[in-house]
Amino acid sequence: MLELAGITKHYRTRNGIVRAVEDVSFTVPPKGTMALVGESGCGKTTIAKIILRLERPTAGIVRFEGADIATMSRAELHAYRRQVAAVFQDPYSSLNPRLRVHSIIAEPILAHERPGRAELDKRIAEVLDIVGLPATAATLYPHEFSGGQRQRIAIARALALQPRLMVLDEPVSALDVSIRAQVLNLLQDIQAEFGLTYLIIAHDLALVEHFSSDVAVIYLGRVAEAGPTEKVFANPRHPYTQALLAAVPLPDPDHVLSETAATGEIASALNPPSGCRFHPRCPHVFAPCSVVVPPAYPAGPGHHVACHLLKDLSA
Amino acid sequence: MLLQVENLRMHLHLRRGVLQAVDGINLHVAEGETLGLVGESGSGKTLTGLSLLRLLPKGSGRIETGSIRLDGQELTTLTEAELARDIRGRRIAMIMQDPMTSLNPVFSIGDQVGGPLRNHDIARGTALRSAIVDVLKRVRIPSPEDRLGDYPHQFSGGQRQRIVAAMAIGCTPRLLVADEPTTALDVTIQVQIIALLRQIQHDAGVGIILITHDLGVAASLCRRIAVMYAGQIVETGPVRTIYRTPSHPYTQALLAAIPRLHSKRTRLAAIPGQPPSLIEPPTGCRFAARCPLRMDQCAEPPPTVDLGDGHSAACWKLTH
Repeated sequence: MLELAGITKHYRTRNGIVRAVEDVSFTVPPKGTMALVGESGCGKTTIAKIILRLERPTAGIVRFEGADIATMSRAELHAYRRQVAAVFQDPYSSLNPRLRVHSIIAEPILAHERPGRAELDKRIAEVLDIVGLPATAATLYPHEFSGGQRQRIAIARALALQPRLMVLDEPVSALDVSIRAQVLNLLQDIQAEFGLTYLIIAHDLALVEHFSSDVAVIYLGRVAEAGPTEKVFANPRHPYTQALLAAVPLPDPDHVLSETAATGEIASALNPPSGCRFHPRCPHVFAPCSVVVPPAYPAGPGHHVACHLLKDLSA
Repeated sequence: MLLQVENLRMHLHLRRGVLQAVDGINLHVAEGETLGLVGESGSGKTLTGLSLLRLLPKGSGRIETGSIRLDGQELTTLTEAELARDIRGRRIAMIMQDPMTSLNPVFSIGDQVGGPLRNHDIARGTALRSAIVDVLKRVRIPSPEDRLGDYPHQFSGGQRQRIVAAMAIGCTPRLLVADEPTTALDVTIQVQIIALLRQIQHDAGVGIILITHDLGVAASLCRRIAVMYAGQIVETGPVRTIYRTPSHPYTQALLAAIPRLHSKRTRLAAIPGQPPSLIEPPTGCRFAARCPLRMDQCAEPPPTVDLGDGHSAACWKLTH
């Protein structure tokens, strides 16, 4: 449904070139949930912006149903934007505080259609109902809602044009634990009911495991490991994936955290390490790692790992 | 007992009414022990921590009742000057969530780490310099002697939080209040700061109150847990008891609502509704409106039921 091939994004800054995203390729399966997971600065949000065409890639192609989104005509782009919606992390900054909920949800509809007043009201009531808010919510302002309710409004707005793909950028990380489950369940219900495809960006690994069907683990702009979520979490093959999973404190007092899985700090994308970008922190580093960028080696059906350790195994 | 807090009430007097932010808290911390104060935003956990130091919102915050004793000394009756001189930063220190806001961008880290040492007259001159280097070494800043003149922006996020920790432990406090100390950090850096807090505790025997919303971080650091909801502690006990056999319906619901690594993909048990307003909150149990076990009795304030072994919970169900 959505395919990224060799996506690269460099930003020119006063201090040099920031290599935010480097040669990222993956496919989002229809009606599936693809997760991009990684730490801050790994480029996951930049990838989302490229998919939403808020940024243009330095190199590479994004295809939606086979069509390159960079070469779309105005009409095609208009149609693309109808089919792809987004929900962002912070429902406090993603909703215009001066607009009533009615206008917030009407905005994307009116950008694409000219429905009559009654038709518009009906559609707004419908999407509010889907996200579990009463139709009367339309007359209120965002500040009259709690964080969880605001995120429901953001989801309602995203649903207004009946999109086919939703980009969810950290959709629950600004919400409290007890509210997160409500919103995650709502997103899953909506997906099942309308057959939506999700691309979720998250840093919370337990959430990714729970919510996604496929995952790409990203480190400093490159995909370290990608594959079916179940496989990647049950049998992580890239040392970075292993380090990430070992570093998550579990809600279990008998769980022992690994303090040595990844030492040191994340390098700067301004001057990323040569070869494998994870090599300065990797406990298994050996000769080729600092010189050669590891290709994606197959590690099972749909499971790829960019690590030299897998070379001999796959040969 | 290092810290003993009894029936602490801190209310915020706002124009819209009186917000009962901290409403009848009892807790204690032993020497060298970590108590986890766990709860969601608005549950009053941060304001409880700030109340210990009487760092209250200006104009509106007021400690209404209660007692706070540190090593047996009552803190609620101390004057501002006494608190500033003997307690804040000296015997009770704080680590805040965001190292970028607790560090001043225009002062060198040598100046900032030395600040509390100077203010509390602990060291001067060359002794001050070596005390600063020493404490930066303890938080594992590499070659600190060369970096005293550097500014916060020249350090990474993890290192900044180490520097904040150095500021806090420089005066060898008795109690450390760490408010979401790892929340702003990435998971591979978080694990390093968790290790640092463990090491600080081990080396200095300091008591720690860890304020967090993250049940994983609390499990990895704490010996005992107090769960806060709507300004009150609803359950407290040894960490294993709280995670394995929680007794309060809110604790149970909270533990069921989080996705867990390596567990079956089942639907999350969401907690319906949202916390009550703390301006004129319900007179009975504050969780009742969201509680699956609600009874008529819940309209009355629930008693705190002693469940043995330092475990207690405030719920009517436990009296039957």
